[in-house]
Amino acid sequence: MTTVERLHVPGTRAPGDAVLSVRDLNVRFNSENGVVHAVRGVDFDLMPGKTLGIVGESGSGKSVTSMAIMGLLPDAAEIDGSVMLKGQELLGLSDSQMCKYRGSELAMIFQDPLSSLTPVFTIGDQIVEALTVHNPKMSSKAKAARAVELLRLVGIPSPEARLKSFPHEFSGGMRQRVMIAIAIANDPRVLIADEPTTALDVTIQAQVLEVMHKAQEETGAALIMITHDLGVVAGMADDIMVMYAGKPVETGTVDQLYYSPRMPYTMGLLGAVPRVDKSAQTSLVPIEGMPPNLLTAPTGCSFAPRCPLAGPECLDGEPALLTVADDGGAGHRAACVKLAQLADVDVHEVFKAPPVPVSRFAGVPREERGTVLRLNDVKKHFPLMKGSLFKKRIGTVKAVDGISFDVREGECFSIVGESGCGKTTTLLEIMEFNKDQPGEVEIGGLNSKSAVSGSQKQAMRKELQMVFQDPTGALDPRFTVYEVLAEPLQNQGMPKEQIRKRIMELMRLVGLQPDHVNRFPNQFSGGQRQRIGIARALAVNPKLVVLDEPVSALDVSVQAGVINLLDKLRAELGLSYLMVAHDLSVVRHISNRVAVMYLGKIVEIGDVDSVFDSPRHPYTRALLSAIPVPDPEAERTRERIILSGDLPTPLDAPQGCNFASRCPIFAALPEEKRSTCLDLEPPLESGGTDHRFACFFPDRELDADMLVQHETADAGGL
Amino acid sequence: MPDAFPRAVGVQDGRTPVIKYLLKRAATYVVMIFLTTSAGYFLAVSTMSPSLIEQEKIPRPTPEQVARSLASKNLDPAMNPWDRYVQWLTGVVTRWDWGLGPDGGSVNSAFGDRVWVSTRLFLAAIILTLVIGVALGVFTAARQYKASDRVITSYSYLTYIVPAPIAYFLVQLAAININDASGQTIFYVTGISTPGMDPGWPTFVDLVAHYVVPTFAITLVGWGAYQIAQRQYLLDNVNADFVRTARAKGLTRNQAIRKHALRVSFIPVAQTIAFAVPAIFVGGFFAESIFAWPGIGFWSIDAIGKQDVNAATATLAYGSVIFAVGAVLADLATALVDPRVKVS
Amino acid sequence: MSVVNEVTAEMQAERLEHDGVVISKGRIIFRRFLRNKTAVAGLTLFLFLVVFSVLGQFLTPWTKNDIDPAYIGDAPSAEHFFGTTQAGVDLYILMVEGLRTSIVIGLVVGLGSMLFAAVYGCVMALYGGKVDKVMLFILEALIMMPSLLVVAVVTSGGSVGKASLPSWLTLTIVLLVFNWMGPARLIRSISMSLIERDFVKAARYMGVPTRDIVRKHLIPNIGSLLVLEITRGVTLAILLEVSYSFIGVGIKPPDMSLGILIGQASQQVSSFPWMFWFPLLAMFALTGSMAMMNDGLRDAFDPSSASVGRTRKRKARTAQEKTA
Repeated sequence: MTTVERLHVPGTRAPGDAVLSVRDLNVRFNSENGVVHAVRGVDFDLMPGKTLGIVGESGSGKSVTSMAIMGLLPDAAEIDGSVMLKGQELLGLSDSQMCKYRGSELAMIFQDPLSSLTPVFTIGDQIVEALTVHNPKMSSKAKAARAVELLRLVGIPSPEARLKSFPHEFSGGMRQRVMIAIAIANDPRVLIADEPTTALDVTIQAQVLEVMHKAQEETGAALIMITHDLGVVAGMADDIMVMYAGKPVETGTVDQLYYSPRMPYTMGLLGAVPRVDKSAQTSLVPIEGMPPNLLTAPTGCSFAPRCPLAGPECLDGEPALLTVADDGGAGHRAACVKLAQLADVDVHEVFKAPPVPVSRFAGVPREERGTVLRLNDVKKHFPLMKGSLFKKRIGTVKAVDGISFDVREGECFSIVGESGCGKTTTLLEIMEFNKDQPGEVEIGGLNSKSAVSGSQKQAMRKELQMVFQDPTGALDPRFTVYEVLAEPLQNQGMPKEQIRKRIMELMRLVGLQPDHVNRFPNQFSGGQRQRIGIARALAVNPKLVVLDEPVSALDVSVQAGVINLLDKLRAELGLSYLMVAHDLSVVRHISNRVAVMYLGKIVEIGDVDSVFDSPRHPYTRALLSAIPVPDPEAERTRERIILSGDLPTPLDAPQGCNFASRCPIFAALPEEKRSTCLDLEPPLESGGTDHRFACFFPDRELDADMLVQHETADAGGL
Repeated sequence: MPDAFPRAVGVQDGRTPVIKYLLKRAATYVVMIFLTTSAGYFLAVSTMSPSLIEQEKIPRPTPEQVARSLASKNLDPAMNPWDRYVQWLTGVVTRWDWGLGPDGGSVNSAFGDRVWVSTRLFLAAIILTLVIGVALGVFTAARQYKASDRVITSYSYLTYIVPAPIAYFLVQLAAININDASGQTIFYVTGISTPGMDPGWPTFVDLVAHYVVPTFAITLVGWGAYQIAQRQYLLDNVNADFVRTARAKGLTRNQAIRKHALRVSFIPVAQTIAFAVPAIFVGGFFAESIFAWPGIGFWSIDAIGKQDVNAATATLAYGSVIFAVGAVLADLATALVDPRVKVS
Repeated sequence: MSVVNEVTAEMQAERLEHDGVVISKGRIIFRRFLRNKTAVAGLTLFLFLVVFSVLGQFLTPWTKNDIDPAYIGDAPSAEHFFGTTQAGVDLYILMVEGLRTSIVIGLVVGLGSMLFAAVYGCVMALYGGKVDKVMLFILEALIMMPSLLVVAVVTSGGSVGKASLPSWLTLTIVLLVFNWMGPARLIRSISMSLIERDFVKAARYMGVPTRDIVRKHLIPNIGSLLVLEITRGVTLAILLEVSYSFIGVGIKPPDMSLGILIGQASQQVSSFPWMFWFPLLAMFALTGSMAMMNDGLRDAFDPSSASVGRTRKRKARTAQEKTA
């Protein structure tokens, strides 16, 4: 199709109304290995005030598209096609010509708030700079006033004082608010947000998404929301474009995309995401293989190698975006030659999602299973020192403050919470297994207080292994896979011939080709590296595997495969898992029991369905309500609890309830009841079978200011 | 995610004020200087034997005469080193008296003017080295891979494999050749002043003229390291996220780099001042030897040759002080360019 | 599909070599080094200088104690390849000896101080706490000591009679004492960050003993840095020897070194230019050869994907060539 023809492709609206029109956008980079064709023919129209979600995994070309629109790609990038902003062609403009549009008509919010602000200038200076560039005649008084107004708009408390602060004095969420303030400083027509909340915690993500809603309302800007998270855009976007291998493969309204996807890739993605609001009845949909590298032009459908439905016709030329005729017609297009046959298929069948594995412990009641791990009042306190020459102890950080739980055979117990809540520290305390630590850790009958001899510790190490969050960092770059897997075996004194056999077994067990053992970790993809990490943990046949955020570094489609693998291994080998994760959807999918941590303490613990379906602690409720679900209808009508402020530092936590400072119930409590929360520490109380929580007033109403609901589907506040 | 910037010195908890921090650092350095100086004293006492030099005097003194003469100056080789140390230390602490040389000359008076001659030279060289190095670093970063960048950066790498005194000597040689070729004294290649100058303006001009060649020589081999460092740090920051943010605001690429990347790239350079000062100090010693300058370097090497224990120790102490000043200056400079280190 | 087959065949061959993983890794490093032409030239030059300094004395009948009255202060000739000194001593034989001193000092100081720095840095990082604090204090105190003056003090004492060490040995010891601090601090910080890395944690949680963690994870991962620091240390030691001897505080006659030759010749550079330029050129050849090797060594030890990619690409290309 030529550009001219493309311009005549009928869309839902006439392109003339669009504030931003992109036609046949192509971006090529020169790399060491050849020319990478990163973006291959992107078309879309963005209507004023509307939100377009661009969804894709890493390397799909979604960020490059946004940078091409902004004119921020390096000079070496070769860009062609057309980008029209209110009828003005932007491609081909020089850097200085582009500057007229950047920051005024066209603004952008970036992913990483920690590195996106200049560390040596104040917040005020950086906001004022955005004003100065486009309003050279504005008085400095007016600029300062506007900066304060902007900071107030994005919800920074005491904005006048904060103008003089430097970025390092702000938390990540606050810095992202500042980024939004800078972006909307000149009332842009188009706002591009590139993964704006990926680096943030769940409750902070909810806050920032609210601020973006508000910013869009204030400015009336059209929004392009780029994300890998199908949940984040479900509630915000009007239209969705799914990208794969540099190309849009399906576009349509948000309801069309989520409720009747036609491109197998979209279907797979939706099936690959676990749901936090539903109990797991099925396995996740795994998408095998890896995206193409874009160095060579695909001769057929770029998804064909990974597509379970691919036939010979799929290899004959890349399919164009075709209108889905039987779906109300308007605007829903998918790039699949078989789209007519895909109206009502079951994605689990199509992608051959494995059956839900059944563990041999499944029929045994929990009380009758053996205990593999028991923690009793485990604490980890760090002294906080001040001064450089003569250090003075000025306080105590109670990273973990009296944690008790047990893990039984065959079950998966998860600890959830936001960064800084102490969940990872708890794991490390277990792994250290040291008699000097306060509290007891008991692993496979060995107690940390009594098992002090080397051989006892060695025996403990055989029972307990760990899988790390970052699969790259967990493997020594100078070890081959063989050496990686041999290390624990050699350490247990296994003879060489047996090691070799065991390694081949392990490779097959985790779904890797046994003949890849001589490769180095950097020759594998992230998902494969995580499988190597899992294989290493399983090498010595442990009873308990500790999983530290095992899938958070992986792409959605890869993540599903690893989660299914973990599920399968647990059932087949009768393993127990202790998992730490911030992604509550993943936790819900694979756990049997869960504990919610806040500032070093467990605030709610119990059976996973009980805790997730009827949470009692206000923090658990806030956490669950903050997680976006990939279901537009549910997202729009959900009532959300938006907590105020950041997670406080666990420095000398108050004697009463830790959560009181952010608690929506506490905020609504009458004065006379508040003292209970402030003076007494709530104990973990039973709320039914296997469900305990720590709150004095779980059933009182929530503070109305912290509740947000986004009305009906069409109004959406946009 | 890892911090994009090297952790600045002195950021303990974000609240320690810099002045207090610097005072504490300075206190640590005082302890260190005391230790290095004491160690230096013992080293000098145990390896040097002034009596051998004394005996070469004409007329040759008797060993008894030598011993008496040295004992009167607290240089008695027969005395045990610890007692000598206590005696020497008492002199330094109570009277600020750094002792006498074997020839009876006071170390204090010998230090007198020479300290200023040397310090002035170091100061001029340090400032020029940093300014030129950083300026060239920025210049070459902006012209990455162009001819000017390649020439300047190659030159800087060359300075890594040339011994400083030989470079100074070659500069001196070139200056002499220019003088010879032109038949008049364009460059002064030895000494600090021409005798018999009128006081006032002519003396000052003469002084400056004598500074030219040594300062030029030290700077010429000194700036290379800073050019390379500054170029690298700036290039590291050119594609930083915050530069992209600045461009997204509507600044051109060059404006964004000039305003944002440049300032941030100064932070690690400021930290390297701690290494610049000692390097220039050593360079200054070499330069004084080669250009026959009556500074501390020239004098002390001569005095050490004459087995002067007290002169050696005093110079060592002076060197330690200069090194400590360098470290404190680096902290201060970092505090100036990095707001994460607070000045109160 | 023959290309694919060829590549698999190669992979199979590689697998057969598997038993000697360590050897094949060494071979990979060597191959990568050989690919860098400048580095190979640097290595060749360095080896040539070493051989020259050891065997050069057999190519001339002269010794450094011979005085040739027929050629006093004479320019290079067939009789005296590099000319003679104003005393009539053959410069060639002096240079062979001077070069040998410089190379010995460079290698001993470069290797010795780096070895010490590696141990010191690793111990600081591994033990941490009070041990680290005390060791860091010692390190910083030594940095505060101007080594130039210590060299001057120590070598001045040795020169005046008394049974004492030869000046080149004294200088070597002082350089050893004063050249390990910078690298030790670097190795400390790198080791500290390595210890925090997940793969070291993983090994610890498996119960791997500390000495094995150091041997298998820590040392290989700081290995490339160590190699670079060694060439840097060798260069620095050679430069310092020349600098000190040049101004008369380092090595003293009768010991011979490049620094002494250059220093002595600098007094009469206009009348006997060869006496100055030949040793100077020899020194540049020595330090230059080190600088030339640096880049190649860095590439060879770098485990980053780029070099692996290159290797694979090259293999694929050779495979293609074979099929073509």
